[in-house]
Amino acid sequence: MRWVVVAGLVAWTSVATAADVDFNRDVRPILSARCFKCHGPDAAARKAKLRLDTAEGAAAGGSSGEPAVVPGKPEESELLRRIFTDTETEVMPPPAVKTPLTAREKAILKDWVTAGARYEPHWAFVPLKRPAVPVLPNPSGPLYTPIDNFIQARLDREGLKPSPPADRPTLIRRVYLDLIGIPPTPEEVDAFVRDPAPDAYEKVVDRLLASPHYGERWARKWLDLARYADTNGYEKDRPRSIWPYRDWVIKALNDDVPFDQFTIEQLAGDLLPQATLAQRVATGFHRNTMLNEEGGIDPLEFRYYAVVDRVNVTATTWLGLTFGCAQCHTHKFDPITQTEYYRLFAFFNNADEPELPVPTPQQQQLGDQLTAQIRQLEAKLPTQLGTLRTLGAFARWVAQNRRRAVPWTVLRPKTLEGGLTRLSVQGDGSIVASGDTTKRDLYTLTFENLPESITAIRLEALPDDRLPAGGPGRTYYEGPKGDFFLSEFTLTAAGQPVKLARASSTAAGQAIDGNPLTGWTANNQFGTRSVAVFFPARPLTARTAQLELLFERYYASSLGRFRLAVTTQPGEIKPTELPHEVESVLTRDPAEWTAAEWGTVFRHWLSVAEELKAAREPIEALRKQRPVPPTTLVLQERPPENPRPTFRHHRGEFLEPRERVEPGVPAVLPPLPPGEMPNRLTLARWLVSRENPLTARVTVNRHWQAFFGRGLVRTLDDFGYQGEAPTHPDLLDWLAVEFQEPTVPASQAGSGLPWSVKRLHKLIVLSATYRQVAHVSPELLAKDPENKLLARGPRVRLEAEQIRDSALKAAGLLSAKMYGPSVFPPQPASVTTEGTYGGLNWKVSDGEDRYRRGLYTFAKRTAPYAMASTFDAPSGEACVVRREVTNTALQALTMLNDAVFLDVAQALARRVMAYPGKTPDRLTWLFRLCLVRSPTAEELARLTKFYEDQRVRFAIDPVRADAVAGRGPDTPERAAWTLTARALLNLDEFVTKE
Amino acid sequence: MSLIARRHFFRDCGYGIGKAALASLLAGSMAPAADRTPKPDPFAPKKPHFPGKAKAVIHLFMAGAPSQLDLFDYKPELVKLEGKPLPAEIIKGQRYAFIRPDAGVLGPRFKFARHGQSGAELAEVLPHLARVVDDIAILKAVHTDQFNHAPGQIFFNTGFGQPGRPSMGSWITYGLGCETRNLPAFVVMSTGSGISGGSACWSSGFLPTVYTGVRFRNQGDPILNVSSPDGIDAQMQKDSLDLIAELNAVRLGVVGDPEIATRTAAYEMAGRLQTAAPELTDLTKEPRQVLELYGVQPEKPSFARACLLARRMVERGVRFISIYHEGWDAHSDVSGNLKSNCGATDQGAAALITDLKRLGLLDSTLVIWGGEFGRTPMVESNPVLGRSLGRDHHPQAFTIWMAGGGIKPGITFGKTDELGFHPTEDAVHVHDVQATILHCLGLDHEKLTFRHAGRDFRLTDVFGKVIKPILA
Repeated sequence: MRWVVVAGLVAWTSVATAADVDFNRDVRPILSARCFKCHGPDAAARKAKLRLDTAEGAAAGGSSGEPAVVPGKPEESELLRRIFTDTETEVMPPPAVKTPLTAREKAILKDWVTAGARYEPHWAFVPLKRPAVPVLPNPSGPLYTPIDNFIQARLDREGLKPSPPADRPTLIRRVYLDLIGIPPTPEEVDAFVRDPAPDAYEKVVDRLLASPHYGERWARKWLDLARYADTNGYEKDRPRSIWPYRDWVIKALNDDVPFDQFTIEQLAGDLLPQATLAQRVATGFHRNTMLNEEGGIDPLEFRYYAVVDRVNVTATTWLGLTFGCAQCHTHKFDPITQTEYYRLFAFFNNADEPELPVPTPQQQQLGDQLTAQIRQLEAKLPTQLGTLRTLGAFARWVAQNRRRAVPWTVLRPKTLEGGLTRLSVQGDGSIVASGDTTKRDLYTLTFENLPESITAIRLEALPDDRLPAGGPGRTYYEGPKGDFFLSEFTLTAAGQPVKLARASSTAAGQAIDGNPLTGWTANNQFGTRSVAVFFPARPLTARTAQLELLFERYYASSLGRFRLAVTTQPGEIKPTELPHEVESVLTRDPAEWTAAEWGTVFRHWLSVAEELKAAREPIEALRKQRPVPPTTLVLQERPPENPRPTFRHHRGEFLEPRERVEPGVPAVLPPLPPGEMPNRLTLARWLVSRENPLTARVTVNRHWQAFFGRGLVRTLDDFGYQGEAPTHPDLLDWLAVEFQEPTVPASQAGSGLPWSVKRLHKLIVLSATYRQVAHVSPELLAKDPENKLLARGPRVRLEAEQIRDSALKAAGLLSAKMYGPSVFPPQPASVTTEGTYGGLNWKVSDGEDRYRRGLYTFAKRTAPYAMASTFDAPSGEACVVRREVTNTALQALTMLNDAVFLDVAQALARRVMAYPGKTPDRLTWLFRLCLVRSPTAEELARLTKFYEDQRVRFAIDPVRADAVAGRGPDTPERAAWTLTARALLNLDEFVTKE
Repeated sequence: MSLIARRHFFRDCGYGIGKAALASLLAGSMAPAADRTPKPDPFAPKKPHFPGKAKAVIHLFMAGAPSQLDLFDYKPELVKLEGKPLPAEIIKGQRYAFIRPDAGVLGPRFKFARHGQSGAELAEVLPHLARVVDDIAILKAVHTDQFNHAPGQIFFNTGFGQPGRPSMGSWITYGLGCETRNLPAFVVMSTGSGISGGSACWSSGFLPTVYTGVRFRNQGDPILNVSSPDGIDAQMQKDSLDLIAELNAVRLGVVGDPEIATRTAAYEMAGRLQTAAPELTDLTKEPRQVLELYGVQPEKPSFARACLLARRMVERGVRFISIYHEGWDAHSDVSGNLKSNCGATDQGAAALITDLKRLGLLDSTLVIWGGEFGRTPMVESNPVLGRSLGRDHHPQAFTIWMAGGGIKPGITFGKTDELGFHPTEDAVHVHDVQATILHCLGLDHEKLTFRHAGRDFRLTDVFGKVIKPILA
């Protein structure tokens, strides 16, 4: 067995026995890469009617009629003839596609056919079964968790031995950086080094898993997948408020919300029974898509792209499948059809995208208090003036206003039509719009049994909490939220256009001027009522009419809630500001008013009476104190009466919808549970069901990568045919099953429930595999440069946030403040202004907000925080499964010269100066602050020399010393310490976990 | 080697000479040097697919979309039809950003004349370009898929309308590496009001992030953090870099991870950048005639200054330079907009051609001038927005020009209908332009691929044809 593996590393030599060719490992990658594009699942692209991705297809052959593969008979297999032939017109793949088979690949295919041409199901689609943990009679290293058995079993086969454990300072730094993202203090290191308890390390691990910083560290990784950012993206790239979602992720991870629940709440929290505020906030995962606010765009087109993104990100994050390939055509490699792509699309296409106010508990409490106080004060209003005066003033007001009041009759349309917009009539006769809105919306309403001789038509634009900024309009991008733009108000009666002579205001008149470029708007009055009245040139005699409301502007701006009323009152009509329910009472004889109607009028009087103005002032003052809750972006499933249909889009193009499709999952995966509503909630539950072969494998693999720098499957985002096979298939499956069905009793960490991420982390960091030293011998480097086999510990460059946070922590500057709106640490203003269309004035935060952890830094998509992008942090424009790890000159310049790192170096210098002891003691302490371990004698000698050299030079140049150290006492010395600290921050070791 | 001997070795070798190699030597006690060398340099010059004429590219991106109808594509018919709507069959089904498709026609705003031996027609607001018109190829029938700025700009730069794919500069530096290690391979400058597509326009997308364009800024350090903090002089910086290299070498000896040597190499390059960037931006040694040719005041940021810097970068081996000049989005007063933007860019762009030619660099430098789409033959006028005599976005046909490295000079390619609405002859899509740019560099756009998310991606997606008739 072993010689085969070794030989395989060098060159494939033909082997005679069937067992040695593994279809999944050896054959499918070749067929997939070289053949499937033309002979794979995509029927539209299939050449010569031949498909090689199934055994049936290979046996049947193509249009030539010859079977492509005859098991066990290489000489009869057309496939082999065509790949071995020298005839240019016959050889496969055709020379034009420029992907010739290598001699080794040809040999493998021949051996496979000889051995029986067995097809096997793709490893990632095979249902998960728990593999047996290998038994190692003579282990070559400690076996702390079953992970070690799998790893060592493989090392044994390769003739390798595990590395010795890392020393305690190295190990504690590693596990701190991995679990909470910041290094330990020298005191924490000392405590661990001195702890003789056998479970000293486990205690550290448990403490870190319980630390609130754990959630901050792991939230950042999840936010890369969620493509989180604090701006909308595209040209305008305006700020958005979705940080409550970011905080939800931190809390969920700290609470060890099991990954199945974590999944369900983010994908479908709004659909859970009695969804809590937090569960709705969680749906922000898929609201992190971008929003194009550029003037003139087609909003539905960019909504389509956002849904495409949701589909692709879901498939990448949970299924590890490159679903995006099937947007435009059936997948070239994996068994996913284009229709199946749009079936998955349909789940995500049926949601609205509102903004949700998220009051903090304190705000909620304050709001409740204020409301109670306001109620108390309001209750006192009727007695403020004394009974006699009150009654007198009220009676006068009623008499005055009865003369003004206009008798309006609310119209209830017989039919309503709004195109993509759904219009529905409410109990009060108002009409609410929902569904989609575009740059040009036309509402058509018809009326029957109209009163005779209509002299005026009133249009009330009404507020509604369901609308952006409380309405009355539906504008949600580009223009002011809640705005509307009524371009034209066109009335037709009995088939004839009705001439409207004038409107109640100049602004309203723009809706009847025949010019669609002008219109009536909310005039910056949001969350409140606006009224326009239109007057026919002659009283309207027809009893039926059709009304068209046209909303046309370079961004969507239709009305979200409105009400129509008419009056037949002759003579001049002056519209009042009176609320409809008050005015309608006032037009009737008070003798007929009910007690409730008296109450309506009286309450209104209390809110407007001149005589009570002074008494209302404290109420107004309290109202102004009401806290404005932050908002966040959420998904909200559409109501059943108004679903959004989904179509297959030819070539993936927005403008080419074809046949309608219903929600569903790809046939290659287990079906949805029968009888369940095919909605996002069912999809989310299906993703984390025990039957799903992918989600657990993909998830544990991503976590493995986070610790070891490489996944067991290297292609974290591709578990399909083109992905790489796992290095340790049994370990991957064991972890995936153990994740869902915990058996190892080792852990008190986290909830202990199935799908506990903290438990998974503990299992990994407690392993001997994880605890190995990261040193690499030349032999090992030659044999396993990528550390696939894990004969040594991980050594990986830190992520941008870890680097910044570690530096701030070492300097004692790092703020422990958690949560809240994103902050603006120092960086040159030009980063977010120069050459950026949607420029942002980067007003540097004050106080501790300058020193918050990196995940709280304001993330602007079109101009990201410079330090973070230099160290490969994503912009939030796309889902990032694995950050690139680069090593560049620009990173060096950042570490050397960026103001933040100079600030850190200066703070470190101040800390060192306050540390008692001689130069070597101080140097050692500084070294430990930055790198955790203690310096060697050689390192200490070099650093001492450097420090002394600089001190001498600063002593004769105090101006320079001031500039480097910042003002204060002992500048030459402090400046020298600053430079020494700066050098330590720039060592490879500082930016590396090892 | 003893400690002292090592230190001498460093000192005597001077600054910046193969520190990484030294680091390997120092680690010699532990392992053979070959195992400890830095990872292969991602910018090491690579062979093209076939010999290409161009070695470098300067992309003058006129963000906001200049009006082809008022600069290049003269349409007398529009004068005749001014004020009248276009025929219904032309405007049917077209989407516009701001105007209604039945808006009236707007005639060209400027006088046109023929120039040079090629007789190319140009508007009077491009007097400088008129002088080099025989050196450029004008493409009058370019079309794109996008009609909004951010997607349009991202599309021209990455071949796709959404952020997330690698930009041309990233693809090209990934494909060819770079001739210098003292400056970035791919530089981005901006001289106008702001780029709608943002950093997605020079993003490396899913290519390794090292291929991201490096911003050269107008304010402060040309490259962020390229100057040492106040008070740290060259000697201190050198001492610091030496100490970092020494301590990294010591650690390399213990840990054995070649990544450490790579880090040291990156610090060496940072040191070289600190010298090379100020030298590059110091225009005081440029002859007066050259400064006058461009119309540059050495310290004042301008498009012309960016053009001159681009020429200096090409001389120093930079592979791809993007200069964004934004502000052509003439929804109102297209005439005033063009006067102002041509005033800011015409001389610099033309001077770049003249200067490259004078230095013998034009044959090996590809220059591209153009925006993300064109502008409508119809007028944009909207009293509510205070707009009049403007033009809206027009993706169906627009004009760009290309010059130098591999492009046939003195030609006009492509025609549009008499209204300038649709191409009628030699239409080229943006993907074709991209394929052609790669071709000029010796890159086959179908072969320059990168495996991501399960498939091989390329700049031109699954489209694009090299525009052979414009090749020299």
